[in-house]
Amino acid sequence: MRKVWAGLFAGAVALLGVGVFGTQRVFSANAGPDAAYVKECSACHIAFPAQYLPKRSWERILGSLDKHFGENATLSPTALAPIKAYLDAHAADSAMGNPRILRDVPASVTPIRITEMPFWTRAHAKLIARKAFDAPKVKSGANCIACHRGAANGRFEDDD
Amino acid sequence: MNIRFMAGLALAALIPVLAYAAAAQKPVLDAYAVAAKAENTGFSGFSAERGKVFFLAKHDASSETPSCTTCHTTDPTKAGQTRAGKDIAPMAVSKTPDRYTDAEKTEKWFLRNCQSVLGRACTAQEKGDFITFMASL
Repeated sequence: MRKVWAGLFAGAVALLGVGVFGTQRVFSANAGPDAAYVKECSACHIAFPAQYLPKRSWERILGSLDKHFGENATLSPTALAPIKAYLDAHAADSAMGNPRILRDVPASVTPIRITEMPFWTRAHAKLIARKAFDAPKVKSGANCIACHRGAANGRFEDDD
Repeated sequence: MNIRFMAGLALAALIPVLAYAAAAQKPVLDAYAVAAKAENTGFSGFSAERGKVFFLAKHDASSETPSCTTCHTTDPTKAGQTRAGKDIAPMAVSKTPDRYTDAEKTEKWFLRNCQSVLGRACTAQEKGDFITFMASL
């Protein structure tokens, strides 16, 4: 009988171990795709926050990298896979997203620019009216970091 | 130990230092030379002068990026700027020594930028000439 208990105990410890290590593996796998996204998607612009576009938008962007806003930004399928997984898991309509970002975006519309998202145009209305984004130092609304110094780290407060 | 031997030793130690700048790019350039020979049996080496002409040329495949110089400026020893406003480290090896040392990275950007600017893939001859020009500055 004692052997049975010992066996049950050992089994429970083993299961607990699998549980703990299993969780850790999932956790560290999350850090991987994030690094891949930043590495590949911040060469020409900052790594834009995944939360600022819905999944369908990221899917369209990743599906047309050979015609990426006037440039070819092709990635190998190997490089693409973890980026796709990361964006899918962190998009506006994912569990990590904020529903307010999608306000006034009809489900039938697939925006491909953060600057055409209603939350963005509302937040920048005065600057758009002043043509602030045409200034040579800014170049475009995609150059977040020209005004938001913490943009590359996902910080977009007014005074950043 | 005689003085001539010592001088020879010192000279021998100096050679790798002098050759260092070009040596880092050698594996990538050698691979393009092999590919260029396969493309053209008459291949007779790379030329910095041809690379310069190629770098400065204007093409009509794209209105956004008609030339390498659209983003990299006409002076490869200076930083360039992407269309989204981000700085690009100088293309000249003397300014950015790790350029053209990573074959995969080099090929990735030739693939993208040749398609963007020329609307086609670059030949191995063009890629080798380009790197030879950038290594000569």
